[in-house]
Amino acid sequence: MSKQVVISVMSKDRPGIIADVTTVIYDLGGDLADLNQSVLGGYFTMLLIAEFENNITLDDLFAGFSNIESETKIEANIKEMEVKLEVEKKLLPRETFIVTVQGANRKGLVKVMGDFFCSNNINVLDLSTTRDVEKYTMIFQVDLTNLVSMEKFRDDLNHLAGEEELNLVIQHNDIFMATNEVGTQLEVLKADY
Amino acid sequence: MFRSDQIMATVEMVQKENLDVRTVTMGINLLDCRRGSAEETCACVEEKIASYAENFVEKCNLVAMKYGIPVVNKRISVTPAAYVGAGFNSDEFVMLAKSLDKAAEHARVDILGGFTAHVEKGMTASDLAFIKSIPEALSVTERVCASINVGSSHKGINMDAVAMVGQTVKDLAAQTADSGGFGAAKFVVFCNQPGDNPFMAGAIHGVEEADVVLNVGVSGPGVIAKSLKRIIGQKGKENLKLDDIAEEIKQITFRVTRCGELIGRQVSKELGVEFGIVDLSLAPTPKIGDSVGEILQILGVDDVGAPGSTAIVALLNDAVKKGGIFASKAVGGLSGAFIPVMEDAVLAEAVGKGALTIEKLEAMTCVCSVGLDMVPIPGDVDGETIAAIIADEMAIGMINNKTTAVRLIPVPGKGVGDIVSFGGLFGESPIMEVRNANKSGRFISWGGRIPAPIHSFKN
Repeated sequence: MSKQVVISVMSKDRPGIIADVTTVIYDLGGDLADLNQSVLGGYFTMLLIAEFENNITLDDLFAGFSNIESETKIEANIKEMEVKLEVEKKLLPRETFIVTVQGANRKGLVKVMGDFFCSNNINVLDLSTTRDVEKYTMIFQVDLTNLVSMEKFRDDLNHLAGEEELNLVIQHNDIFMATNEVGTQLEVLKADY
Repeated sequence: MFRSDQIMATVEMVQKENLDVRTVTMGINLLDCRRGSAEETCACVEEKIASYAENFVEKCNLVAMKYGIPVVNKRISVTPAAYVGAGFNSDEFVMLAKSLDKAAEHARVDILGGFTAHVEKGMTASDLAFIKSIPEALSVTERVCASINVGSSHKGINMDAVAMVGQTVKDLAAQTADSGGFGAAKFVVFCNQPGDNPFMAGAIHGVEEADVVLNVGVSGPGVIAKSLKRIIGQKGKENLKLDDIAEEIKQITFRVTRCGELIGRQVSKELGVEFGIVDLSLAPTPKIGDSVGEILQILGVDDVGAPGSTAIVALLNDAVKKGGIFASKAVGGLSGAFIPVMEDAVLAEAVGKGALTIEKLEAMTCVCSVGLDMVPIPGDVDGETIAAIIADEMAIGMINNKTTAVRLIPVPGKGVGDIVSFGGLFGESPIMEVRNANKSGRFISWGGRIPAPIHSFKN
């Protein structure tokens, strides 16, 4: 029997963090599943899922991470997954859209969009934002599977854009697949992918 | 998730650079509609078009709304009418044109193409009756477009047909004199006419095609022009060479083509209809910022028609093809840059300045599609001169194994420099000078055929 564990790691960025983290997992007999890593503002962040034998405890993992010898401290957060990751659950929903939002930088912009999606019962699948000197850019990947009317949703977005002085564009994920992914087979888009 | 710069580049293309899908055209085979009488045949034609195209416009709009990319034109092309009405007399062909018009109106499409005959080698009695019916057929209908294929690289040029259609153009303009000879704007003469071209007025559903297919025409030249302005603005002209420009055109065309094919395939799926081809042609509209001429200006000629114009069109046409062919699973139709004078505001302006002449346009058609398109000429130019201009353009297509076409509009009662305006997508322009008119009558009077060129004998 095995269990799946989700681990988040944060540290000031330096060479060797991936080697340190994966050594802990390997030494405890773990098998890596999915992993996401990025560096933001000089901080290394990583989110991963790994499988371990049932005799390995969360305390073993915590001990492994706290024993890493380095000048920069590695903070780890570890949880056992309640529901096992299934391959088909990783597929994007059929009605995945990208909403891009740009506006003059001010406090509360992400909250405006977060509230809007929340009040429309829309799940955000992915989000990245960047701040330039004056402009703030947000890119939301959202699941619109349960949307009743696309026309009304576009109207609502346009209304919000006017009210909040935002430049707001919504496009189906397929458009980005088609224009940016050379290998995408266009005839299979809109099927599950 | 994609990289944010990829996402913003795509968003910019859609929002600021006016990316659209220029046309989705449903091709419908009508060969099985032939019945014992013209009345029955016409009824069957209307019924078949209605059965396939009932939800066509609605589905296009639905997909466009979902993807946030407009489908500007929804059109229908049909099997060349001369085949559908084989054995009809001229009156019966006019009746067929009216039925096609009615079917187009019922399907809520603005233009239907395929009132067509293919006579590149010879003409049947039915073809003759068909050609004679064209002036009346196009003057009593609103949505029907006609075309005649008079030449091919394989068969040569049918000069008897060329002489006839030269006069047809004159008659057509005369019969629609009230609207400035607008009828002639709905009639194109071809060499090597493709059977899967989605663009009007020359769209047909070739007899080699399946029962019903959807063909797509990609976005216009505006997207290319804006992306070139952007890259020149970002990098500075002094840091770019022409091969960098060609590379940018390729990349933007790749994206534009992928969008066109995506939308086309989704409409196909919604309608349960086979997807045909993507036509990579850059089709300008009279709208400001949607001009092939503007691309020529961006690339360095002050007026279209100045020396260098032909070279720039060659570069543009080639780069568009290279980007588009890799992007699409099935490229077809005309797939080149169009230079229709009245439909392209910058070309029309160059005519007004005296920079662009018919001879220079003819030279440019050697390196791009499709030919002397939407060229208004004085109403008093004789039919034989028109036929001779057509013959010259057909010869370019025949020898170079490419499609060429002629859509001349002899505007009744108007002369060189007068403005003619058809409004909407058909645009406006000063009337162009036809030099050396009335000097080609002896050539046209020969009749017969210009034999197929030597390089057509490949067996």
